[in-house]
Amino acid sequence: MVRLITHNLLACHAKGCTANNFPLQLTDVKLALRDAEFNPDFLRGFLPRIEWPALVQAARQIGDESLPLEQPEMLDDEFLKALHHVLLEIHVEEGAMTCPNCKHVYPISNGIPNMLLAEHEIG
Amino acid sequence: MPREYLFVFAQAHDDFRVPELRSVAELHGFPLAIPDDFDPSRPFGVLTLKQEEHARLLARRCILIKAVYEFYARGVTYEALHTQNEAARARWEGYIPDTSFKFAVNGYNHSISKARQREVIESFSYMDYRGKIDLVNPEVIMGCFEEYRDVSGTTRRKNEGAGDFREVFFGRLLEEGGARSLIKKFDVKKREYFGNTSMEAEISLLMANQTLASPGKLVYDPFIGTGSMAYTTAHFGALVFGSDIDGRQMRGKEHQPGIVRAATQYGVRQRILDLCTFDVTQNPWRCGGLFDAIITDPPYGVRAGAKRLGRKKERTGTPSGPPQPRPDDRPYVPPTRPYELSALATDLVALARHLLKPGGRLVFFLPTVTDEYSALDVDVLLCDGMVLVANSLQDFGAWGRRLITIRKDTDREYPPPKFDARPAVLGVVPGPGASEAQEATHVPAHRDFREKYFQGFKKGSDPVKPEAE
Repeated sequence: MVRLITHNLLACHAKGCTANNFPLQLTDVKLALRDAEFNPDFLRGFLPRIEWPALVQAARQIGDESLPLEQPEMLDDEFLKALHHVLLEIHVEEGAMTCPNCKHVYPISNGIPNMLLAEHEIG
Repeated sequence: MPREYLFVFAQAHDDFRVPELRSVAELHGFPLAIPDDFDPSRPFGVLTLKQEEHARLLARRCILIKAVYEFYARGVTYEALHTQNEAARARWEGYIPDTSFKFAVNGYNHSISKARQREVIESFSYMDYRGKIDLVNPEVIMGCFEEYRDVSGTTRRKNEGAGDFREVFFGRLLEEGGARSLIKKFDVKKREYFGNTSMEAEISLLMANQTLASPGKLVYDPFIGTGSMAYTTAHFGALVFGSDIDGRQMRGKEHQPGIVRAATQYGVRQRILDLCTFDVTQNPWRCGGLFDAIITDPPYGVRAGAKRLGRKKERTGTPSGPPQPRPDDRPYVPPTRPYELSALATDLVALARHLLKPGGRLVFFLPTVTDEYSALDVDVLLCDGMVLVANSLQDFGAWGRRLITIRKDTDREYPPPKFDARPAVLGVVPGPGASEAQEATHVPAHRDFREKYFQGFKKGSDPVKPEAE
């Protein structure tokens, strides 16, 4: 943890931060690779929810270039296996996620990100 | 071909029994008719199912099923039972010639002496089974169940009341309940990581069944705490996200987060997708329509402070901006204020409507004050597109908690709630049977639950100092 599937679902919701608040930029990462159960049905079902460019950018930010820049039409096994690996098997154990808009830094420690907002950032 | 099946149920959590049966049937996609006279307070029940496989599926997954038998007969006397059993001959005569068998005679609320057991078995001799009697590994097991009324608390002689049962049932064992053993497996006392708010195993399992957890599903617990519901949900194959405003509850004191350690113990570590520290009222989810289910036990404010980001007393003037650099290494801890339960509950339903996929379920516990509770308390939680599926009471006397299951019955997208924390003005749609006026002014029993709890649920009494837990 933090897996890229999760990172693809997190935006900065500090007060006033409503544009350019996704994706959060990954920096100073320490990674771990762990096998996960391959479930193609799950991946196919989840695909519509993925922000593809953000996923590819995040993967490349942490050193994985296996995904194509464009989401392919054909969801063949080879693609799904690559997607499975990037979404579920790469864990950002330490590091930070930074909002490109307001620059709030969300630290990741022991695989758990701290996404609490400061007093001046809540509505 | 529709057949009748005799169910032997665990005698606990009566109110949860029918919802669990319905959930597991829905999970596997088969119809289940519960007759109007089905009594969940009794240990035995006869249900009709289209296929034998359906009965087996229920036996394998329902925590509250001890065993399922093919039903042959029932009666308030053995005479009535044997008459019905004779009429059902076509169901059991195939085993006559050469099937090894065993007869078991069981009493509920009564111990049947060996002598009487033999008598009872003898009374079935008309069935004329010719196969070998095998007490160890028979091909078929015939079960005879005498259901006695509860006489605990009375003094009686040994074997008094023998034969004076309420009803007797007879059938052939199909499948022993496969899920009850999970209660031991997930016993909190044996867990690698737990806390004083950890949910008991049996209830965590029932909650997981209410979510229809299965492989490929995505489930979220927004108050995950020490992770109790995550383990059982993951056990049934789902992938689980968890968040909590208090990172320490998820982490514990060791280097490796406690939830990860416990998940590893149960062999479900890889199904815990991620854990995040955030206030659900200031959540970072980019969009809605993500989860197949939301499962949670929200903080009642009793053992765990129910809190949200913000200040109890508003400071004058606007906040000064980013926190000043701190002289020592300690991380910035934002201020929190209480999160009143009825506001939390209504917000939770509205948040679930936003975050759930169409057809998804919200499963959570709502504590309530027994003397003040009415069904309207639950109705006022609902909003457009969210329908109540089940409401099961766990009774603790002066208070209780209700396992609420709500389904998102719409594919319309809804925005997340504003989390105003002003329960009286939340615009909820009146539930069935409630007038507009009632909706606007109804004060649910769980309003200010925390204060009521520490006052011992007495109205107008002095607040009692909370006992150490």
